Amino acid sequence: MVYSLAWHFLHDRSLAEELAQEVFLELHRHLKDIQSPEHLVFWLRKVASRRCIDQTRRRAFWPKFGLEEVPEPVAKNRPADPLLSRTLSRLVASLPEKARVVVILRYQEDLDPSDIAQVLDMPVATVKSQLQRALEMLRGKLSRTMGEIAL
Amino acid sequence: MSHLEDDLRAALRRQEPPADFAERVLARLNQAPEPSWRERLSVLMHPPRVQWVAVAVMVSILLPTAAVQYRKDMEKGERAKQQLLFAMHVAGNRLHQAQKKVLESSRL
Repeated sequence: MVYSLAWHFLHDRSLAEELAQEVFLELHRHLKDIQSPEHLVFWLRKVASRRCIDQTRRRAFWPKFGLEEVPEPVAKNRPADPLLSRTLSRLVASLPEKARVVVILRYQEDLDPSDIAQVLDMPVATVKSQLQRALEMLRGKLSRTMGEIAL
Repeated sequence: MSHLEDDLRAALRRQEPPADFAERVLARLNQAPEPSWRERLSVLMHPPRVQWVAVAVMVSILLPTAAVQYRKDMEKGERAKQQLLFAMHVAGNRLHQAQKKVLESSRL
């Protein structure tokens, strides 16, 4: 969960592993604060999300690829198409940091907007609007990519 | 639910960490953490050995002092004993002289 969240956010295996290790080291330091298995999962999501955003801000990290570098899908929308999945994964990684983490928590962790709001300490309305905007951006980017392919 | 959401779920499925991920975390956990400047200062101020050194210094000062004090007390006691013996001796002599005078006067 932690590594995957970092990987989808940063799209860099070594950075994701480093970040995930730091989350678990932090967990070790705060082990006495963990009250239940549910709290542990909540804590890990919260700390991992916060560290992902911090990492991006601290290193002024931005995905090393642009939209033009996204590999072109060979077929039109087909569920569980590996190439489409890879394209979408990279498009998610190109979203602004808040929108990115909201999308990852929503679709990787399958959290409701209210749960995401708790993890990220933000109002539910903000989460919903971030999610809505992120989906619109992804839809637009995806259609542009697919349009280019269609041409 | 839109196709996009389904596709996102597929695209964002969980990625497994490298096989040796847990080992690396444990290795980092086992590494002794670099002590902070406060911890270093604390160790400098209160190292465990200093406590034993302090005890040794205290004992080395207190023992001779106690010995000197004991010796002084012994000497004082000895002097008092000598004075008492002298006083008893003087008193004994005077008593003897007094008895002698009484005996002489009774003979006369």
